[in-house]
Amino acid sequence: MKAPDFRYERPESLSAALALLADEANGAQPLAGGQSLMPMLNFRVAAPEMLVDLSGVAELRGISDSGDSIRIGAMTRYRDLAEWSDLEAKLPLVALALPHIAHHAIRNRGTIGGSISLADPAAEMPALMMALDAEITLTSADGERTVPASEFFLGFYETAREENELVTSVRVPAATSGQRSAFYELAPRHGDYAMAGVAMVADAASPITNLRAAFFGIAGQPIRLSVLEAALNGKAPDDEAAITVATAAFDEVDFIDDLKASAATRRHLAGVVLKRALAEL
Amino acid sequence: MALDKNAPETRSFKVVGSRPLRPDGIDKVTGRARFGADMSAPGMLIGHILRSPHAHARIRAIDTSKAEALAGVKAVVTRADFAAAPEGMEDVLDNCMAGEKALYDGHAVAAIAATSAAIARQAAKLIEVDYEVLPHVTDVDAAMAPGAPALHDGRSDETVPDGYSANVMSRVEYGHGDIEAGLAKADRVLERSYKTAATHQGYIEPHACLATMGPDGQADLWCCTQGHYMVRNTCAALLGMDQGQLRVTASEIGGGFGGKTTVFIEPVALALARKAGRPVKIVMDRTEVLRATGPTASSSIDVRIGMTKDGRITAADAELRYQGGAYPGSPVGMGSMSAFAPYDLENVRTIGYDVVTNRPKQAAYRAPGAPMAAFAVESAIDELAKGFGLDPLDVRLKNAAREGTRSSYGPTFPAIGLEATLRAAKDHPHWSAPLGPNQGRGVACGFWFNFGGDTCVTLNVTPDGTVTVTEGNPDIGGSRASMSMMAAEELGIPYEKVRTVIADTGALGQNEVTDGSRVTFAVGLATIEAARAAKREMCARVAKIWGIDEEAVIWEDGAAKPAGPNAGDYPPMTLAEIAAIASNTGGPIAGHHEVNAEGAGVSFATHIADTEVDPDTGATRIVRYTVIQDAGKAVHPAYVEGQFQGGAVQGIGWALNEEYIYGADGILQNPGFLDYRIPVASDLPMIDTVILEIPNPGHPYGVRGVGETSIVPPLAAVANSVSAATGVRMTDLPMSPPKVLAAVQGQQEG
Repeated sequence: MKAPDFRYERPESLSAALALLADEANGAQPLAGGQSLMPMLNFRVAAPEMLVDLSGVAELRGISDSGDSIRIGAMTRYRDLAEWSDLEAKLPLVALALPHIAHHAIRNRGTIGGSISLADPAAEMPALMMALDAEITLTSADGERTVPASEFFLGFYETAREENELVTSVRVPAATSGQRSAFYELAPRHGDYAMAGVAMVADAASPITNLRAAFFGIAGQPIRLSVLEAALNGKAPDDEAAITVATAAFDEVDFIDDLKASAATRRHLAGVVLKRALAEL
Repeated sequence: MALDKNAPETRSFKVVGSRPLRPDGIDKVTGRARFGADMSAPGMLIGHILRSPHAHARIRAIDTSKAEALAGVKAVVTRADFAAAPEGMEDVLDNCMAGEKALYDGHAVAAIAATSAAIARQAAKLIEVDYEVLPHVTDVDAAMAPGAPALHDGRSDETVPDGYSANVMSRVEYGHGDIEAGLAKADRVLERSYKTAATHQGYIEPHACLATMGPDGQADLWCCTQGHYMVRNTCAALLGMDQGQLRVTASEIGGGFGGKTTVFIEPVALALARKAGRPVKIVMDRTEVLRATGPTASSSIDVRIGMTKDGRITAADAELRYQGGAYPGSPVGMGSMSAFAPYDLENVRTIGYDVVTNRPKQAAYRAPGAPMAAFAVESAIDELAKGFGLDPLDVRLKNAAREGTRSSYGPTFPAIGLEATLRAAKDHPHWSAPLGPNQGRGVACGFWFNFGGDTCVTLNVTPDGTVTVTEGNPDIGGSRASMSMMAAEELGIPYEKVRTVIADTGALGQNEVTDGSRVTFAVGLATIEAARAAKREMCARVAKIWGIDEEAVIWEDGAAKPAGPNAGDYPPMTLAEIAAIASNTGGPIAGHHEVNAEGAGVSFATHIADTEVDPDTGATRIVRYTVIQDAGKAVHPAYVEGQFQGGAVQGIGWALNEEYIYGADGILQNPGFLDYRIPVASDLPMIDTVILEIPNPGHPYGVRGVGETSIVPPLAAVANSVSAATGVRMTDLPMSPPKVLAAVQGQQEG
């Protein structure tokens, strides 16, 4: 199928984009890289009256390093991140995750802000934001606010973003010296939507110190489990007993049940990705 | 010239066996090739089909008035716009446009032609169908159970014994000997049940066609199909036309694998064009392809095999139950015939039940019916061999069918290649390569009948001495190249001097569809004979020029020559020289051949599969895969290898991932390639191939069909491999990760 009719605008400044979004009469939807939204339009899952294409807004694109944190503009593409020479040093977890985000063609177009705004439960970028304690900057015609990742992702495709707001950038703390990262995901095929995945960082690997593990693909939104992290902190990453205690935390997860994997399978796979990621921490 | 039926040529070939570039290659990689959806006509309308949202429902009434009133709508058709189908074609018509009942999710119930696709879709929403929803059934065993909702009461034929569900349409039985007596001689009798899911051929190109019909009833149809003569005959019958009034042209085809050997949208487009008086184009989307074309049957099979401890099969018995969708015609007959075909058995029996369910009417899929049967039988033999500690290849060699074996389905085999494939498997480095942790190796054999059928070829020599071969079979696997090669071989001219074209139905007589692995065999045979006829004509012309007897002129290396010193001393005349003066020696030169080709040689294959199973997730990776198959004679070896690889890949998908998933509501849950998982390049290693050439005595060059046999062994080869890797016998396809995981964990998952 083809997309339903829509109006198309391509503003060249953030203020112009925000003005289009602010006018409720427009029924506007921001278009970032289009790697999710365009298929959704073609499948007619989404039917906005207007698309506000952000690709002309130069100020939304780019990576700036302020030493202890990295600001990534919302329209920065995965490809831009992959080509950033400091990525492995500053954001090693993101470097580990990037090859798992779909395929080259999609990474060439897909944007950081688009993924975060859409909040697909199986997407990697929201989980990375959770694991890294990133802050998400939202801007509207009325001003700007900053929301921690832990308060941004609310459920299936549901975020703290208001309709008149744009995710304009994220600020991600740079890796501290000695910080460990691990990333593991299970998908039916490399590049597919994950059935279960986890992105994690820790200040030390053995014993595990200050673990932050964000699961994705298992529930409506990326999820960190404090009980799980507490059970693993202070333990060796291959401590089977600790892992068993930790995975009891899955009791509080409302696992997705679909054609790709039943809820029971997903719960099992969440344990598998946890164990495998810990082995690589 | 008589066919050399009993003496396939053992000559050395110049062109056959080489690997020239395919003539359709550049067009296909540059986008110049025209596929089904690429054709347009002035004044063309877009057709759209309204489909049933119910798995089973009586159609009380259809009100199309609001749709017809919509601006831009030029015609709406329902079943009422079709004449009663001729005998034997009622189901084809009913499947293209539902009559009294909608029998599956996606069944066509009405169609619209409008000036745009958007208007046609909008009009579809305005059609009011009054459905009485009926209970449905989609599983084969459930459909056979007492009290199952009946799709067609009273249509079971006389072969079905009393007491069976009304959904059992027919029963077949094959075999010979005494099963119970044979089983009594066995050291072990294995009884197992197996299931396979329905899978789709997964061709990339959705069905598409463009129909035009004048007020005088002359019609033209452009469509993607495996057989435009079949399309012509079927559509003419369903529309009440003379076959000669309908000319069908086949587009390039983006895959078919059997799924395009019938009609779906073509009669509907013609009916709309007739009613609207304007050309009508219909293009299916992927959802329609999966919901409403012809996937293969799902199956449920019980096998009993007795074996002595030294590996001799004493008796083999199987009951096969196939559901082929909403109408009779599942390939259970061919499954029953092929199940034990690779073996020389004293006591053998297969019983097959053709069952209807609320699913789309199945269509052929590459060796229809055989892969499921082979999955069951080859799994059972593997389990018995392993149980006795025997090499599974040795067990198969011990029981292998050979020349002179009375096959399980009746005929006695001529020269066949099964043993050769088994020996080649034993000698192949793959068979003895070491395995890593969590890896297993499986082996399985496969058989396919192959087919010949009605075929016409015309070969024209142009005035400048090039040659055009005109044939009537859409080129799916590279057959234009193969025909050009065989014509070049026969005429003794370079491959580049021959061009093969696929004619429309006006240009040749009846041609069977491109199926049954028949084209390289049957069209090749007709091409060779057409070339021989042209050679005879050219020799006769030269005899006239030289003033000697026709018998004194022979054809050699692309030229006519005196047969010997006694014939006279004349310099050879090349094909180009003869062609240049043809007008003065009697007119244009051509050869043609029309035949119902018989003598298609059966073919066998042995596959070796290595898999690695992740014990934590149940995910299976194909580590290494080798196909060994008898091709008779490989005309273009690269295409033969491609057929071997393609069949293996489709079989791997069937074994591991692909399945039609129906919800409790009878609605297809995964009508798209996101959720219907076919293997792609990144899922597979390079598939290794070994071509064996045991000549088919029924073809002048020894050619056997190769396209289908290659999908028969993989289901079992992969299942045997996964069973070896996990230590758990896998009997239910697909072996999707959750199923394998549950098996590995020894637990049932809800």
